[in-house]
Amino acid sequence: MADRIEGVKKLFTSKSARVETNRGDAHYEKLFQLCQARIEELKTQTPSRNRLDIDDLLKDQGINRRDFMKWASAVTGMLMLPASFTPLVADAALLMNRAPVIWIELSDCAGNTEAMLRSDGPKIDEILLDIISLEFNETIMAASGHQAEAQLEDAMHTFKDKYLLFVEGAIPMGMNGQFGTIGAHGETFYDHLMRISKHAAAIVAVGSCATFGGVPAASPNPTGAVGVMDVVKGKPLINIPACPANPANMVGVIIHYILTGQVPELDSLLRPKFAFGYRIHDNCERRAHFDAGEFVEEWGDEGAKNNFCLYKVGCKGPMTFNNCSIVRYNEGVNWPVGVGRGCIGCSEPDFWDKYAYERPMADANIKAPTGGVEKTVDEFGLGLLTAAGIGIGIHAAASILAGKKEDGGEA
Amino acid sequence: MKAGYKQVKRMTGMMRSIHFVNIISMIVAVITGLYIADPYYQAFIAEDAVDKYVMAWNRWGHFIVAIIFDVTSIIVAYLFFFSRFEKPYKKVIPTKRNIVEFFEVLLNLLTLNRRKKFDSTHSDSFNTVYFAIFHLLLAWMLFTGLQLYVHVFPHGDSSIGAWWPWMLHLVTDWTLVVSSWMVGTTATGANIMDVRISHHLTMWLLLVWVAFHIYYQIWRTIFWKEGDIAIAVGGSKFIKEDKA
Ligand code: HEM
Ligand code: SF4
Repeated sequence: MADRIEGVKKLFTSKSARVETNRGDAHYEKLFQLCQARIEELKTQTPSRNRLDIDDLLKDQGINRRDFMKWASAVTGMLMLPASFTPLVADAALLMNRAPVIWIELSDCAGNTEAMLRSDGPKIDEILLDIISLEFNETIMAASGHQAEAQLEDAMHTFKDKYLLFVEGAIPMGMNGQFGTIGAHGETFYDHLMRISKHAAAIVAVGSCATFGGVPAASPNPTGAVGVMDVVKGKPLINIPACPANPANMVGVIIHYILTGQVPELDSLLRPKFAFGYRIHDNCERRAHFDAGEFVEEWGDEGAKNNFCLYKVGCKGPMTFNNCSIVRYNEGVNWPVGVGRGCIGCSEPDFWDKYAYERPMADANIKAPTGGVEKTVDEFGLGLLTAAGIGIGIHAAASILAGKKEDGGEA
Repeated sequence: MKAGYKQVKRMTGMMRSIHFVNIISMIVAVITGLYIADPYYQAFIAEDAVDKYVMAWNRWGHFIVAIIFDVTSIIVAYLFFFSRFEKPYKKVIPTKRNIVEFFEVLLNLLTLNRRKKFDSTHSDSFNTVYFAIFHLLLAWMLFTGLQLYVHVFPHGDSSIGAWWPWMLHLVTDWTLVVSSWMVGTTATGANIMDVRISHHLTMWLLLVWVAFHIYYQIWRTIFWKEGDIAIAVGGSKFIKEDKA
């Protein structure tokens, strides 16, 4: 109840996905100077520990300077900055190893780590994520057990108040957090997160679990899973939801941070607007079929062969804010709607309960607002209408039987 | 006019026009809304996409009646307080007199017109409250509908200028929070699906409202014998001279 009251309080203050794409020359000039000064300063610092060299890495992968600059201008566009920022963005990318990152995993499937690693033919986004100074990440580091813990302590100490903390996975709050513990001391995920977030410069929650609780928080949420923003207060926090979060957006956020020293502009769910300011539906390649009323009716039918719109097999693109219809995954190779299955709204809160049912909302069983039995909105509404109809019927029948009031007769 | 009866004016021409515009808009909104929710007929597969535009026309129709609803609602809201004819808000304020009248009218309905202890010349408290409920439901449809709509302008501009999406955000963003409060959630944060669920459900509440509304107005006409149904068409009803 308390959180609901809190929600109502926020009523008229809620920011939503309103994106300002042009803030005027004065703003950008000022920002440019600020970024330039910051880049100059970062250049004087030595890279923290990652000894990989970006130039070598790019060369190894057969990516030349020209490709790199093309990428930089795309990222500049993605971040909604004017084209004049492209050289700065390129510089910031080369300085990615100046940002120490600690990456922890809680109730998760490591899917975001997977997305970041992308073993199959890494492209520039993934390579850049290789060169960030990843000080700690359980999945990919060699150390384990006590050694790993020592490494974490060391990183937290060395980069105190400077590191970016990436969190992957939800925080189980049920049973005093005992649903998830880590390390030999059996520290709960909650305590783990609180301890490490204390001296982070900023926190980036990646993936739907860390942002909104995701799959672990799906109804009935047995472990009482919540997202980072529910428990960590008073820190700059950026949510990059989706299942998995798109590496392009992780890079975007880090570059923005390196470039400006600030978190990018966020919406009411703390998602960067450059990535979550618009619906995937509005940039979908199947959109013409939506407007035409050409839908895939069944998997594998004639419509499916013709790339018709997936709305009737449950695509939630119209209700989902994300940029996957533009940047796609794996450096633009493809994305869910592209391969012929609908969007399941994985970057939205409650997506498992409210989006991922593979049929239009009107045709899916969701919990009625009163809780209890799951019904489609139409069954529920038709039930209401029937009840009203029965009431009316009884009243009408009674009226007819009882007859009209005497003095109401002809005058 | 029958002898011994007096004609009382109940709805002005403006009010009656709005009434019928609302009826037509409602029918169109429901038909197109249900198509948007779950397209229930198929486009002709053989034709080119450019020639069909079925969903787009449904959305177009839905939004046109939505805008008509917007305008009529603003007029109704104005009349509610400032009408020179009848000021309905005076009948929904919970004064003792209104509360007594409200229950008297309800009792009249429940006792099948065996008890009628109120003045049926003018719009009574029960009816006015009932209409107020309609307008609140409709207002909720407008706000949630416009919230669903505003996201087609992510860039913050529209064919009629940047003020329009700006204003829509300003006046409808709160429906996100309220909808998620109503629908219930296990995660933190509101999403647009809650608004959509609520928009769809409220349609059913409106249909329930309409069902009772039509029944009740017919019932009154038959049992009171004062020609109430004519109010919506001719603007007046008839009252026995000795009562009026
Ligand atoms: C009596 C009035 C109305 C009724 C009965 C009605 C009904 C509906 C229904 C059933 C849906 C489908 C929801 C779903 O299940 O996905 C819908 C969608 C929608 N309605 Fe309404 N509606 C009404 C008024 C309005 C108004 C005033 C607006 C204001 C602009 C509006 C805008 C929308 C929008 C934007 C959508 C979503 C369309 C899309 O994303 O393509 N509606 N409406
Ligand atoms: S496939 Fe999904 S996102 Fe694409 S047009 Fe259809 S409903 Fe919209």
